[in-house]
Amino acid sequence: MHHPLRSTLWGAAVAFVGTGVAAQEAPSVIAVNYPLAYFAERLAGDAMDVNFPVPAGVDPSFWRPSISDISTVQGADLVLLNGAGFATWIDRVSLSRSRLVNTSRGIEDQFIVTESITHSHGDGGEHSHEGLATYTWLNPTLASAQAEVIAGMMSARGLAPEADVDAALTVLKGDLEALHQEVATALSAVVGVPMIATHPRYEYLADRYDLTITSLEWDAGAAPTEEELAQLSDLMAETDAQVLIWEAEPPAEGAAATEALGLANVVFEPMAHAPSDGDFLSAFSSAAAALADAAGDLPAN
Amino acid sequence: MDRPVIRALSTAALLVAAPIGAAAHQLVVFASVDCEAVTVEAKFSSGRIAQKGDVRVLDGENTLLTETTLETNGTATIPLASVDHSTGLLIEVDTGGHDNYWIVTPEDIARNCGS
Repeated sequence: MHHPLRSTLWGAAVAFVGTGVAAQEAPSVIAVNYPLAYFAERLAGDAMDVNFPVPAGVDPSFWRPSISDISTVQGADLVLLNGAGFATWIDRVSLSRSRLVNTSRGIEDQFIVTESITHSHGDGGEHSHEGLATYTWLNPTLASAQAEVIAGMMSARGLAPEADVDAALTVLKGDLEALHQEVATALSAVVGVPMIATHPRYEYLADRYDLTITSLEWDAGAAPTEEELAQLSDLMAETDAQVLIWEAEPPAEGAAATEALGLANVVFEPMAHAPSDGDFLSAFSSAAAALADAAGDLPAN
Repeated sequence: MDRPVIRALSTAALLVAAPIGAAAHQLVVFASVDCEAVTVEAKFSSGRIAQKGDVRVLDGENTLLTETTLETNGTATIPLASVDHSTGLLIEVDTGGHDNYWIVTPEDIARNCGS
């Protein structure tokens, strides 16, 4: 039922455009992250070619596309944007507004404002800024709203049969609601339990499920430095956290170092890229279960 | 409805000063093209014009084609005849501390040149 994402076709699509062979059998969709691509695949089935162009190992938020990448994006029938400031590259290229779909329109009032960062440079003195948390899809309710926007645009543009899209949307929304119920049940055991994340990815998850997560800014995939471990230790003392959430499987030395501090390591892939195993639904469910297993017996603050 | 605010602890905030600061304090670069030239405009997200800055123009293979500087009005003009734009143009602007880019595809050039 689910179609694997056709990211491997991205290079071929670029080559077609580059050589002027632009004929496509099906309308094309470009998504700025994996969840949107997953939803589009679920909704369109075989009626559309869905691509998520960001290479593995590159943060989709800060991907810097090539000129040929943008040529392909410009040729797409729909470009699915996440909103909330996710994917900065979209502000550095010319894209037809009629093809852009802001999937988070209608949920802006649920965006989470992140606290400012104090810093200084140039002659501006010390100052700070606010931003928006971007990983909206980690709240399945918001993800469902985004899927609904995608479906609406597919139908409105006549890119896929409306009845088929509507039917697929009903199933997808049911799956997302079931996911929410499952995650809510699993994470009910960890409400109020202090946790630390190696990166600020989980704001919407925490907001939806009343989790207490304090975030660091460690490099994904890198072992923490001595200084970072010292700051982590301070943060543990400050928050009483005994669980550390990683975006991906940590390096062995990193995991050992944090275990030595008394932390239980848990991987919760935030899924801007496709998860290492399974799909959006199964990986989300598994990650929530792992988090519950790690923190479920710990005291809440 | 009140928007929730996630307050990072100061210890964590210290770790992120450089990358987040760079993103939040953005230099905004825009380039428009016609049959004659690419016009580059640069300003800060605050609205202030970038009065000084280096402009680098690269092709689709990331080969440097030419360099120039911003005028005091925050613009730079690159005549199309001066560069091989067949693979598109990547315009980079660096004001020293802030940088950003704009991508001009071959299709952008063709579209704006009426062909």
